[in-house]
Amino acid sequence: MFYLAIKEILTIPTYNDPGTCRAGRVVIDHERCNGCGDCALICPGACLYVAGVGKDRKAYMIDKAVPDCMSCNDCAAICKRGAIRAEHGYDFGGFYKALHRAEMVPPRNF
Amino acid sequence: MTSTSVEEKKRGRKAGSGEMYTWHEGMDWNPVEKVILERRSVRKYRDEQVPEKLVRRVLEAGRFAPSAGNSQPWRFVVVRDRDMLDEMEKYVRLRCRVLKFMLDWESSPLGRLSWLLAQAYIRLMPNKLHPIPFGAIRLIADGKLKLFHGAPTVIFILEDVRGVSKPQVDIGICGQNMVLAAHSLGLGTCWVGFVELFKFGTKWKKKLGIGWPYRLIEAIALGYPVGRPDGMVARELHEIDWWEGGRKRTVF
Repeated sequence: MFYLAIKEILTIPTYNDPGTCRAGRVVIDHERCNGCGDCALICPGACLYVAGVGKDRKAYMIDKAVPDCMSCNDCAAICKRGAIRAEHGYDFGGFYKALHRAEMVPPRNF
Repeated sequence: MTSTSVEEKKRGRKAGSGEMYTWHEGMDWNPVEKVILERRSVRKYRDEQVPEKLVRRVLEAGRFAPSAGNSQPWRFVVVRDRDMLDEMEKYVRLRCRVLKFMLDWESSPLGRLSWLLAQAYIRLMPNKLHPIPFGAIRLIADGKLKLFHGAPTVIFILEDVRGVSKPQVDIGICGQNMVLAAHSLGLGTCWVGFVELFKFGTKWKKKLGIGWPYRLIEAIALGYPVGRPDGMVARELHEIDWWEGGRKRTVF
C-alpha cells in the first residue's frame, strides 16, 4: 500500500520554498509576554528573538520563509507566563510528507 | 480527614498523589509518567559540574536496560573535560562549515554546483540530510547552535555491531533509560546525534575508542538546566489502527 504517490516519493522538497514546505510555527501572545528571553535562549532552531525596550520588550519569531522551527514546544515548556506555543507541526511535503497525523494536543490521562 | 478522603487516598485517587502500580480511569499522573511526559530536551546548561556519583547512578540505569538476547551491545564513554568538549565542538563546527560550503545552495559560493551536490546527497542520505538536520548544519556552522549546548558532562554511547538482532534499538532503549533516570534526579539532558561526525576524525576515533566492533551512535549531554525547562506540552496526535472483534477502527 502506497501512502505516497510515486511523484511524491521522487520529489525531494526544496528546503527553502514555502510553496512545498511548511515549517513549524509558534504563536506568541504579546499581552502575556514580558520579554524575558528564555525562549530565545533555548530555541534549537534559533527562530526566536527579543526586541524592544521596557514594556515593549517582546519575543518575536524570525521573519523567514521557512524557519528552522520544528515545533518542539520547548519554548512553551520554559515560558513561565504561558505566552508562547507551537501552532502546528512541520511538514516538508514530497518525500518527507507527514503521514497519519492530527492536531497537536497535550497529554491525555485516560 | 474524612473517611472518603482516606478511602480515596488508599486507592490512589487523591489529587496529585498518583500511586504506582495501579490504574483507574482518569487518575493523576504517577511519578514515572510525570518524568516521561515532562522531560524536555535541555539546550542551555549551568556552568556547574555534575557530581561524579550522580553520573555513575545515571549510567547504572543504562546498564539495566533490556536488550535483545541480553546482548548489552553498548559501551559508554564519559567526557567531563571542558577543554576536550570545547575542542570537539570546534571540530564539529569546522565539519559543518565544510558541509555548508558544499551543500547549502543559498549561501555557497559554488552556486549551481552546490545545488546539484545537495540534491544528489539528499537522495543518497534522505534521513541524515532531512530538512531539520540540514538546518542544524547551517546553525552549527554559523555558531548559532552549540554541539553540546555547554553541558559539563557528555555520555557517548558506542554500539557493539556484533549485538543480537537490532543493536541500534538496544542503544536507544539504554539511552532512554539513562535520560529518564537523569531527569528524575534533577538533571537536564539532550540527545546529540551530530557526534556521528567524529567517525571522520582519526584523533577522535582513537580517543573515543571508535573502531571495529564499536561504532559511535549517539551522545547524551548532561547537566543542570538554566531555568525550569521541564513541562508538559502539546504534540501531534498519531493515527492508530485498532483491530478488535474482526473489525478495524481508527483511534487517535
